[in-house]
Amino acid sequence: MDTLLEATAINTGYGQLQVLWDNEIIVGKSERVVLLGANGAGKTTLLKAIMGLIPLWSGSIVFDGDHLEKKRTDERFQSGVSYMSEMGVIAGLTVEENLLIGGYYLNKQAQKQQLEKMYEQFPDLKQKRKNAGGSLSGGQRKMLGVAKALMSQPKLLVMDEPSAGLSPLFVKEVIDFLIKSTEESNLSLLIAEQNVKFLEIADRVYVLDGGRITFSGTVLELVANDAVKRAYFGLEGS
Amino acid sequence: MLVYTVISGILFGLFCSLMGIGLNLIFGVMRFVNLAHGDFLMLGAFGAYFAYTLYGISPAISVVINMIVMIVIGALIYYAFVPRLLRSRDPEMLSLIFFFGISQVIEALSVIFFTNNPRSIDWSALGTANYQLFGQSFQESWVVSALISVIAIVLVYFYLYHTKLGYATRAVMGSLDEAASSGINVHRVSAWAMGIGLALAAAAGALSPFFLGSITPNMGSDITTTSFSIIIIGSLGNPLGTVIGGLIYGLSSMFMQSYIPSWANLVPYLLLFLILLFKPSGLLGKVVRHA
Repeated sequence: MDTLLEATAINTGYGQLQVLWDNEIIVGKSERVVLLGANGAGKTTLLKAIMGLIPLWSGSIVFDGDHLEKKRTDERFQSGVSYMSEMGVIAGLTVEENLLIGGYYLNKQAQKQQLEKMYEQFPDLKQKRKNAGGSLSGGQRKMLGVAKALMSQPKLLVMDEPSAGLSPLFVKEVIDFLIKSTEESNLSLLIAEQNVKFLEIADRVYVLDGGRITFSGTVLELVANDAVKRAYFGLEGS
Repeated sequence: MLVYTVISGILFGLFCSLMGIGLNLIFGVMRFVNLAHGDFLMLGAFGAYFAYTLYGISPAISVVINMIVMIVIGALIYYAFVPRLLRSRDPEMLSLIFFFGISQVIEALSVIFFTNNPRSIDWSALGTANYQLFGQSFQESWVVSALISVIAIVLVYFYLYHTKLGYATRAVMGSLDEAASSGINVHRVSAWAMGIGLALAAAAGALSPFFLGSITPNMGSDITTTSFSIIIIGSLGNPLGTVIGGLIYGLSSMFMQSYIPSWANLVPYLLLFLILLFKPSGLLGKVVRHA
């Protein structure tokens, strides 16, 4: 497996409060990785550290051969790492403006092509192109978040709880779309989730608990792990 | 009397919108209250005063000169100080102290260089004609100043809604993290916003002698308070809401001056209290749908 993202010995937190301890996470090219963890486990903090939205206390982040530690968030984005936060969209901008912001650093022609491509994939968004992002329903907002994050044709899409606030039907829709997107392109995924439904699309899984990676392996290995089964599937180990 | 009051309130209100819009732009992008806003306006006023008295340059031209100079000064101030403030533990509080310090320094230096003597620009500097509006006569300086204010506000609208930098500015206003993680260089956008914010203040400064009368180095703090009231009325963080705030302030102020002049100075504080009590998000404050 060719490595796309390699984050090692990640230590960070907020103010003087340490949240993550020596985390290591690897995402290969065209690989779909799920970072599983309960509320407060540190998933968002880890994604924010990778994106440069919070300062890294120590550790290294290498993406496609380049060190990202000293790069600003926008520079990391331009390297090919796109990020979809839990909110996913900018509420005060229209749907179309959100998409244009997603492709902000593309040239005008590429931006227009990508916009049309997104409208083809998400016809609902085209209908609501003039509506404010904040006026959309939870499901539509997630779709806009995904489309916005894909506007720049990233190599890696980092997603923070894409299922948050969605009904099971919409969760399935998001999962189907992600499967389709990754199969059509060489897009890699790093998805932080507490919804085990996302394991359906995972090539590999990390489990984050109390700021530490406690498990890393395939879905089959995860399911065979008694401790993880108890924590996330509510099953007793045999 | 009523028609005159309404029209003069609108003309004054347009100027007030220009006076507050830069403060709101900076707050919207950086979440900092620029306590030196009125002092930058005062510098613009003195710039126009000296340009007119020493070189005969029209205050209308000074508006443009002030804006160019202040965009550069704003960007320099941003890059020299703001990234350091943002790295601190409490950037909002530190920014208040920082801009208060800047305000004090500008005022003290202005007293040294300009002295405390009130100055004014001749009313005829922007034209000597009288305009008839709805049967009421208004000095050309008021009408031209209001028109320049409208042009500046339209340019702000054009910048925010029809330029790539404007989209980016509104994205940063919406969410700094979302904007940065969409590939926007937040520092570059913020430096522009700081420059444009100060430029708009200095543009209003060049027109202020016609609406506010004499100018002095210590006029800044009152103007900051008034501007703050104006942007709270419209909506904090929404630059175009400032136009509503400015018009309401201008009309209220003119009505008070016409009918209860001794209470006129209370207008900004009364409006501030009313809006905070009944619509704290401002008249154009938006509600975001939560899933």
